[in-house]
Amino acid sequence: MSSADGAMPGRRVRLAEPVVRAANVLVLIVLWEAGARLTAGSFVIAAPSAIVAHIAENAGLLWRALLATSSAAAQGFVWGNLAGIALALVAVLVPRSERVLSTLALLVFCLPLVATGPILRVLYGPGTGPQITLAALAVYYTTFLPVLVGLRAAPRDWLDLVRSYGHGRLTLLGLVRLPASLPYLTAGLQIAAPAAFLGAMVGEFTGAERGLGVLTVRALRALDLPATWSIAVIAAGVSMLAFWAVGAIGRRLDLAPPQILLAPPVDHRRHPLGVVAAPILALLVAVALWQVLMDLFALSPFFAKRPGDVLAFVLTGPAAAEHRAVLLSAMGETLAYAVPGYLAGLALGVGLTAALTLAPRLAAVTLPVSVALRSIPIIATAPVIIWALGRGATGTIAVVAVMIFFPTLVACLHGVMRTPRSVHDVFASYDAGPFRRLVDAQLPAMLPAFFASARMAIPAAILAVTTAEWLATGRGIGALMATTASTSNYGMLWSSIALIGLAALVAHGAVAAVERAVLVRTSAEQLAR
Amino acid sequence: MKLIQPNRRLFLGGAAALGASAMLSARARAQEAVNFQLSWLHSVQFGGSYIALDKGYWAEEDLAVTLLPGGPNAPVEPPVVAGTALVGISAADYTAAAVNQGAPFRIIGVAMQKNPFTIASLPENPVNEPADLVGKRIGMALANMPVLEALCSINGVDVGEIEVVPTQYDPAPLVQGQVDCLLCWLTDLPVAMEIQGLEPVTMLLADFGYAVHSQTYIATEDTLANRREDLVGLMRGEVRGWEDYLADTDAAAELTVEMFPDAGLDLETQKLQAARQVPLMFSDLTEDRGFGWFTDETVAANVETLELLGNPVSPDLWDLSILEEAHG
Repeated sequence: MSSADGAMPGRRVRLAEPVVRAANVLVLIVLWEAGARLTAGSFVIAAPSAIVAHIAENAGLLWRALLATSSAAAQGFVWGNLAGIALALVAVLVPRSERVLSTLALLVFCLPLVATGPILRVLYGPGTGPQITLAALAVYYTTFLPVLVGLRAAPRDWLDLVRSYGHGRLTLLGLVRLPASLPYLTAGLQIAAPAAFLGAMVGEFTGAERGLGVLTVRALRALDLPATWSIAVIAAGVSMLAFWAVGAIGRRLDLAPPQILLAPPVDHRRHPLGVVAAPILALLVAVALWQVLMDLFALSPFFAKRPGDVLAFVLTGPAAAEHRAVLLSAMGETLAYAVPGYLAGLALGVGLTAALTLAPRLAAVTLPVSVALRSIPIIATAPVIIWALGRGATGTIAVVAVMIFFPTLVACLHGVMRTPRSVHDVFASYDAGPFRRLVDAQLPAMLPAFFASARMAIPAAILAVTTAEWLATGRGIGALMATTASTSNYGMLWSSIALIGLAALVAHGAVAAVERAVLVRTSAEQLAR
Repeated sequence: MKLIQPNRRLFLGGAAALGASAMLSARARAQEAVNFQLSWLHSVQFGGSYIALDKGYWAEEDLAVTLLPGGPNAPVEPPVVAGTALVGISAADYTAAAVNQGAPFRIIGVAMQKNPFTIASLPENPVNEPADLVGKRIGMALANMPVLEALCSINGVDVGEIEVVPTQYDPAPLVQGQVDCLLCWLTDLPVAMEIQGLEPVTMLLADFGYAVHSQTYIATEDTLANRREDLVGLMRGEVRGWEDYLADTDAAAELTVEMFPDAGLDLETQKLQAARQVPLMFSDLTEDRGFGWFTDETVAANVETLELLGNPVSPDLWDLSILEEAHG
């Protein structure tokens, strides 16, 4: 043993935390720079030095584009979240409406850009209307679901107490449910921040004068790597800022510590008719809205096909059998990638949650990367993923997993934090290890949030797989929908949308069944009506 | 085409001579607002239109034209069908597909006489003619499969011998070696590669029998019947703008960059693109008859190629009456 080691046992100089972090970042940047220089000939990675130079040279242009996109994203963020919260409030105040509402919310969320883009552009004309609407559409569902979970995450005895004083649902909402929902709202808003930014960027693809989305398209086509990566870095940076700002505000508002949510067991034997009736009712409402809204806005049947047109296209029309065959084979190809990607993304989200719970320090590296992956438009990230993993199954499944693991991770992390203080104390008093605590306390506490994210991930997986099919594999229903715009085959487009909607409903039903079966044991408060 | 100016004045003089009522109605429709839907993001691709706007050629026609940019998710046909846009920039194949789906379109002018579709490759492994495609990997959007099939069919090449790789529309897959060649427009990806210091080999499909008018002006039958004056005014401004463009493509590029400071355009790229699209847009035919012109022969060649593309149309899809009036 050397004297230096022995001289000051236990007093080894510990570098200050910020210094360690700065060193980590520096190492990452050096590696990035080296990687970029080594692969310069293949035009995949831009070096940090080139990115900095590009941003400095084009500061004015990028700043104006950032302002344009952020302004649309911020407006969409506000409208979308207000809509999500309002939907969740209605669902709790009028419990009978919940299944229809959540089904409708899911179906609207599944509408692909290739269908909504032209319609929004025709409705709004020139301007930022479509960008704001698409940003709002990108966030309302991921806020609706966690808030709904949060509004129910109130102790049963509190609810009973307020009821016993003769107060109604509104008082219950104000005194108990709303405070209980705040942490879940924070999770929803954190997921929404990058999504709104991405939605606004993608909205610019419908024909905008300015913005980061416009510059992305330009840069990709011009093989302008520093420009592409600069925009990606800016989009990721803004999203991270928004993510942390929302999180910080949320922590200040979250005054009530998590409680043990004891709820009486729920009778989970449901009337067989009820299981089928609610989705069918929701479907009927959706079809009626589809028809009525298109008629109300007098959208031309050339590109805005009605339910009747779709029925004729796939069932009664002259070439219906042929159309069905094309649709079903495309759907089969899509599901072959979407299902593994969906499961991989969920597993990755939960796995990372567990890892971060056991080793919180990892969060410093993992969260920024996760936010970045979620906020950069998939048309910019997909080429890099595909270059690395190929155009086969691996690449596509990876694109899907990347798109859905982030909302899962955020929701699950918040879920873990809902572990009641007193449960932690029990584990501490028995000197249980962190792993034991994770499996027996934190993961069960996380389950309602996990199932909310498993529902959110259904439309996200559909979006991701169809985008990857459009950009990379050229197979499946994504490629089919992408070609409909250039061939004006809007009958096929709306039939694809209807089929995707049905698939999402079935998947949602399956997740809901598993959710009921699990939560009836672990979190009965979520099932009480 | 110096004749247009006096003709226009003569026309206005004639209108004035018709009396006060005609003048009043002309006044009443002073600066009719119309939307003109472009097919892509702003760039010198639409340089002639920017000149028309900048020099007030449309204002002289009592039109207040708003140029609507396109984008990856902004098909041209819906806003034209819906009436949001008076005229849109489409292409004969897109228009034919839309017409076969029930859209009431007519093509009233042709900006690109030669189709800009090109096969771009690298000098080490070049594609100079369709036969060179055999055994190669071609990167393209699957939506363009009919284009490749038509080219092969015209030139007797077995399309099954070509490996099609679906790619996004950017040059990276070619440069990275994921594919041997790309199906793209002569005026964008090859220009971008050249600016990046690469020397792509290009094979224009139009030189191998692929006759499809591109950057075509479309309007609905209803507009043609009821808003002829606006259509003629719009096309007259286009004709004048594109004639100025031909006279000085560098000036057109400079105007484009100046008018759209937020579009992220690079002046050198725009100048090169502006020069590259001249041979596609101007020919002996346009020199003879004027910008945008088409004849029974060019229409017949288009009908033949469109048939191969699976979109049979009648020559009636093309309507020369607006151009005839615009060229006066």
